[in-house]
Amino acid sequence: MRAFSYARPETPAAAIEAFVAAGSGARYIAGGTTLYDLMKLRVEQPTHLIDVTAIRGLDEIATDGDMLRFGALAPMSAVAADRTLQRDYPVLVEALSKAASQQLRNMATVGGNLLQRTRCLYFRNGAGSASTANVYPCNKREPGAGCAAQDGIDRGQAVLGQSAACNAVSPGDWPVALVAMDAQLELLGPEGARTIPVAELYRPPGDTPHLEFTLQPAEIVTGIAVPATRAGRHSTYHKIRDRESYAFALASAAVALELDGDIVRRAHVALGGVATQPWRAAAAEQALLGQRVTPDIANAAGRAALQGARAGHHNGFKIELGARTVADAILIAAARNPA
Amino acid sequence: MSVEPFPDRPRVDAHEKVRGAAIYAADVALPGLLHAMLVPATIAKGRVTAVPVEAALQVPGVVRVLTATDFPPPVQPAGAGGPPPPPPMITPEIAYRGQPFAIVLAETLEAAIEGAEAIRPDYAPDLAFTPLIDSPGHRREPVEPITAGDAADAMTRAVTRHSAEYVSPAQHHNPIEMLSTTAFWADGVLTVHEGTQSTSGTKGAVGRNLRLEPDQLVVKSPQIGGGFGQKGTPQRQSAIVAHAAMLTGRPVKLVLPRGQIFHNASFRPRSRHRIEIGADATGKMIAVRYDADHQQSRSGQFPPAEYLEAAPQMYGFTDYHGTAANVRIDTQSPGYMRAPHPHPSCFAFESAVDELALMLEQDPVAFRLRHEATIDPIHNRPHSSNHLHSCLREGARRFGWDRRTAAPGSMTLPDGTLVGWGVASGAYPVHIHPNIATLTVRADGTTRFAAAAHEMGQGIRSTIEQVLVRELDIDPTRLELAIGDTSAAAQHTTAGSWGTGSVVPAALEAASRMKAALAELLGDRQVGGNLHRQLARVKRPSLSVEVTRIPYGQGQKELATFQQGGMALAGPFFPAFTTFSFIAHFVEVHVEPRTRRVRVPRVVSVADCGRVVSPRTAASQVRGGVTWAISAALREVTEVDPRYGGWLNNDLADYVVAVNADIGEIDVSFIDEPDPVVNALGVKGLGEVAMVGCAAAVANGIHHATGRRLREMPFRIETLL
Repeated sequence: MRAFSYARPETPAAAIEAFVAAGSGARYIAGGTTLYDLMKLRVEQPTHLIDVTAIRGLDEIATDGDMLRFGALAPMSAVAADRTLQRDYPVLVEALSKAASQQLRNMATVGGNLLQRTRCLYFRNGAGSASTANVYPCNKREPGAGCAAQDGIDRGQAVLGQSAACNAVSPGDWPVALVAMDAQLELLGPEGARTIPVAELYRPPGDTPHLEFTLQPAEIVTGIAVPATRAGRHSTYHKIRDRESYAFALASAAVALELDGDIVRRAHVALGGVATQPWRAAAAEQALLGQRVTPDIANAAGRAALQGARAGHHNGFKIELGARTVADAILIAAARNPA
Repeated sequence: MSVEPFPDRPRVDAHEKVRGAAIYAADVALPGLLHAMLVPATIAKGRVTAVPVEAALQVPGVVRVLTATDFPPPVQPAGAGGPPPPPPMITPEIAYRGQPFAIVLAETLEAAIEGAEAIRPDYAPDLAFTPLIDSPGHRREPVEPITAGDAADAMTRAVTRHSAEYVSPAQHHNPIEMLSTTAFWADGVLTVHEGTQSTSGTKGAVGRNLRLEPDQLVVKSPQIGGGFGQKGTPQRQSAIVAHAAMLTGRPVKLVLPRGQIFHNASFRPRSRHRIEIGADATGKMIAVRYDADHQQSRSGQFPPAEYLEAAPQMYGFTDYHGTAANVRIDTQSPGYMRAPHPHPSCFAFESAVDELALMLEQDPVAFRLRHEATIDPIHNRPHSSNHLHSCLREGARRFGWDRRTAAPGSMTLPDGTLVGWGVASGAYPVHIHPNIATLTVRADGTTRFAAAAHEMGQGIRSTIEQVLVRELDIDPTRLELAIGDTSAAAQHTTAGSWGTGSVVPAALEAASRMKAALAELLGDRQVGGNLHRQLARVKRPSLSVEVTRIPYGQGQKELATFQQGGMALAGPFFPAFTTFSFIAHFVEVHVEPRTRRVRVPRVVSVADCGRVVSPRTAASQVRGGVTWAISAALREVTEVDPRYGGWLNNDLADYVVAVNADIGEIDVSFIDEPDPVVNALGVKGLGEVAMVGCAAAVANGIHHATGRRLREMPFRIETLL
């Protein structure tokens, strides 16, 4: 482990100032549940850590207005425990509570979680740390180095959104639910505050997979806002993985349905575990509009969600699994809170 | 001798463990400690040609870097019949990815890690390495067949034949306690603290590597946080760390990171099992041919023939032909991992038996009950005890097997979930090892029992206490059980389920001798109170007895081998009988209708392990074995990217072991019939057999649910989509 400096400013302005002063080796840190891990793996080697957890007022949870608002520093476990969300937005609660373990959710923040980096084995285990014995080329770690995953054991890799340079999966659950629910991201940087859709935080890998987010230098996430919707009552985050807890998704689906009787008036569908970024499935939403939810309709929407998917060597099953996961999620969501 | 059933008693170390107070080898605090980190080779095969150490030495806190030139040359093999050489220390020749080529010593762990990561050696890689058993360059090496009767001839008489290949993947141990060694040299004695099931084996390996005499070495293994065979054979790092401690004159501690453990420790090799079973016109199994091979390193010793041992003990057929082979490739040496051979072989064989029963349109429990084994056909000797049929009958009763409908896919839940009920049996050989125990009861209220045994969480201390406390009126709260310590008693490797059967008879005999010695001491005096008070009343500070137990069929030669630090196992093929433990598992699987997730809500397991000494830890052993079997069947596999060699998913996140949410109800019970001859308490052995066959029960259940026969583990989600 390399030496690094550590600062713990108490205001957003001081944090941004410290980041700008520290230059390119700076990283913000909140719960640390990803960054410390990546530092031990030598994937990240920051020279300055700027701990934002002493900043006050960034951990508020407000679920009573037209917008649900979550301060960036609210712990995942605290948001998952919110009574209103549990009743009216199971998609958000399940996306949080099916991630990691209770201990990690107590540390990890809802803002930091959006910036979690991929679990691609070649990315994580190939940086030459003493804790592993492998060195793999990775365009995400080292632009232009090549991608060991493309012709490797790619069972966990993406079938949607991948490029010749990178097929690493975006690992999160919470971002998938937020993208489905049209959430907005509140940012603060040297140039001031701005708001973007959460969906626009993520960049496709293209030929620059090392550039994962659209954040500007020194920008921090201050909050997340989700438009209130009665679709939340008919929602779920369905997560299929290699074991029933404490694992990343092989395929997941966030689904929320605005129902008029049993007819779908509006649908929110997004996919996780199968794509290089949280994947909004507009074609699946379209397939549900005006329909009564039946297994056949759900299956058709599932297939539509995976439109354009491409298999690698060992991950072809994810196309079928993704479609079935979406279908299951639609049926689960529709059955929630019957009128 | 008392062989009454034993009562339930709490685990002796439960409170310590729950409070985190139990001391493991790496917890030992020593002044002036140096922290160490190994530097792993990042080539699959070849040679390290230069190790520049300057960058590492410039890291603040790094004290020294040791490379191949700092170590004595490797011990040469002893030749035919001699012991295998100990694991080499540090050499420039690299046989597998992750092999250490240097060790960095530093004042802090962080400095040791940074120093290790600063070393960038020059390599002469051998690019023609062999990563997989079907890669070019593998060498297939058959071993002696195991045969009974004439299987080829009997097979010609069979009217129904089933033949298939079954595969068990490479799998790795992932205990919470990492491999570690802490060593210091003082007053001419090297003391090693290590989580090991074999303090004697560590002592031998370190002693031979460093050319030390037995009286110059003490090895202590206070508790083990997961043994299961990973810590049963000499560990790669032990002598390296010991040598570093001797060279620096300071205590040195090394805890291997998990990725290095994946690359250097024992693992379950990939194995293939081709099985042919023939049944006669009455539907009886009359002939079996079994051919097994497994992944092996270029110089590894893990024997493939043992895959062939369990099958002929289970169903009474007398014509059997078993063949086996090593497939040598470029990997670290595979070895023992819970139920090392019988888990994969009974997955294969018990799947095959299920397939044959279906071909014959017979219920799989009834089919098994039509076949009773009373003799070992390989050696033509009787089983000393075999209650497999009782296990099957009792398991079927507890499970409610009679409510099963036979047709695959015929049992469903209202939401369309497919339900499958599977059964399978398991057998595991019984071994017994000599033991030399001393028991001391003192007037001050303390008692000390010292013997060969290691506590790896299986509860061996609880079994010893159970016997001593039942036999003697002593204070159990002040009972010291000095095991896993070469300075306390001669030690063996505690593995293969022989721990309890090798130590509790010694404890029983020691208690009996203690009673006799006390009676002799007291003579005609009538003295009240417990043993401690009786000694105090007659002003005797302490009373000691020593017991030597030699298993049936052994003599002074084996005892001498043990006393000199070697292993002297008896069984399972004793001179006049053969002894195996048996188990039957009944498993309910649910397969989701759309995503095809497999869940296991319920298992019933009934074991014949002879007399149960500690009911609570015994039940725990079976729950652990069943949990591991479910995990192995549905999840665990270590992946090799053949372009690189080594192990890709070498961490706890990506090597998928079962979690609590994956495990449902596990109903455990025992036949609890003492074996009449194998030892004084009738203890056979349990920890290994607990897992055996359960993976086949999962596979058989999946077949019953879906009609799909899965012959290669693990059955991950894509298998059933």
